[in-house]
Amino acid sequence: MSAELAEGLARYLRSRLPGSAEVTVDEIAQISGGASRETFRFRARYRDAAGGDVERRLILRRDPADSLIETERRNEFEAYRAFFGTSVPVPEVLWLEEDPAHLGSPFFIAVEVCGFEANPILLQSEPFIPLHRKIGERKWTILGEIARHDPKELGLDAVMKPAAPDTAWKTQLDYWEGVIDADELTPQPIIRWAIRCLRQNPPPPAQKISVVHGDFRSGNFLYDAEGTIHAVLDWEMAHLGDPLEDLGWSFNRVWCYGRDDRRGGLLPREEAIAIWERASGLRADPVALRWWELFNCVKGQGIWLSAAKAWNDGTNRDPILVYASWFPTNAQDRHALELMGEL
Amino acid sequence: MKPDIVPVLKDLEARLVGVISPKIQPAYHGGTIAFVGFMLGILADEWDRSADRLVEENRAIRAIFAAASPGTADPVLLDRLRALAQVVEPNVRVSALKAANDALRAALIDLHVAVERTDSEEARRIDTMIRRELVASTERRALSTANF
Repeated sequence: MSAELAEGLARYLRSRLPGSAEVTVDEIAQISGGASRETFRFRARYRDAAGGDVERRLILRRDPADSLIETERRNEFEAYRAFFGTSVPVPEVLWLEEDPAHLGSPFFIAVEVCGFEANPILLQSEPFIPLHRKIGERKWTILGEIARHDPKELGLDAVMKPAAPDTAWKTQLDYWEGVIDADELTPQPIIRWAIRCLRQNPPPPAQKISVVHGDFRSGNFLYDAEGTIHAVLDWEMAHLGDPLEDLGWSFNRVWCYGRDDRRGGLLPREEAIAIWERASGLRADPVALRWWELFNCVKGQGIWLSAAKAWNDGTNRDPILVYASWFPTNAQDRHALELMGEL
Repeated sequence: MKPDIVPVLKDLEARLVGVISPKIQPAYHGGTIAFVGFMLGILADEWDRSADRLVEENRAIRAIFAAASPGTADPVLLDRLRALAQVVEPNVRVSALKAANDALRAALIDLHVAVERTDSEEARRIDTMIRRELVASTERRALSTANF
């Protein structure tokens, strides 16, 4: 697979680098799989149009052969493109290719942000424990910055589906209830209860429509041993919506890697809220935020149930899908019960 | 079988996660091995308790159904609940218990919706029983390694 992929990538780069010569691709290594995207790192070397020798460490993000999530691929690419160079650190993206002829399925290529960690469990060991405050401050500041940006100024209103302040909640809840309807393999009495609660008590209208990352959590940013965050990754669920959706997702108990009350394994919820409010210039209304936290239990369960179905159907037999279903589902139910006042 | 399954699974988990996966290249495949190790740990949690948990849960849900009266659900739903309350699983294989559990939990959802819509003491009593059982079900299903 590697030789074929290297050849395909080299051919593609030749087509995208006018005047380049002696293009080679090697050191291909898969970084992650999962149900939606395969991610590889690789080294590209070539002589550029000016005759200089160039070496670049790049990332390939490719859809599985049977992927149907076209709009999300473009959303992800455009989110990276839009935020690059702003106060929100992201990798630089180079090319989005939607023709499957080149590498078997659509893909995009980005510049690799090298030498840092993403593992959220590693944050619970030395030397990172004394850095929790610093990393947490930065994490929720970045999230606030995402919320603060204007989607129109970023050009993302032309790419992403529009959202309205009074119906953003319904769009998301309808979507994820639909996912659960389609993908559950066993009945889900707790999450169905949560859905009823959410519909019966909709949140106040969003104070603004922002870009919502959709999966902002410990595990989706690159950090170093000094506690600096270098890039926010995995924007494939990015969309326009209520910025409290992102804040709520970051508080999901499933991400409490310290197995205590610190959200994302880093900071208590109230401190994270204060940081986010300072950075975003917005207010995290307690009632609205609770709604979005409970919604995120529904969304989370939708994701874990979809992983189970994809493996069960044979669509994707990557073992991570089994783990992504077995490990979080009961904790997700318990978080929903906690938010409904039952624990 | 000896040695017992649970300590074997736990030992395999520790080996795969702590010893073998860090040595596997590329790191992606090492990560996959680590996930397999974590899953063996989950199976260790489930192996011994799975049948007991399902028996207890099925019994608890049937007790709720037996307590539901005409004031809490429509006749069609009540008939379904009464029929499910009287079912006895053919054996204690996990697959049989699980199939019964699925049918019971699906009906539990319908009963929960029904009592939420009914304004009566009886409906509130059943609603309380359902809420307590749903909390208890998550305690039975808790993983030793869970984040919450």
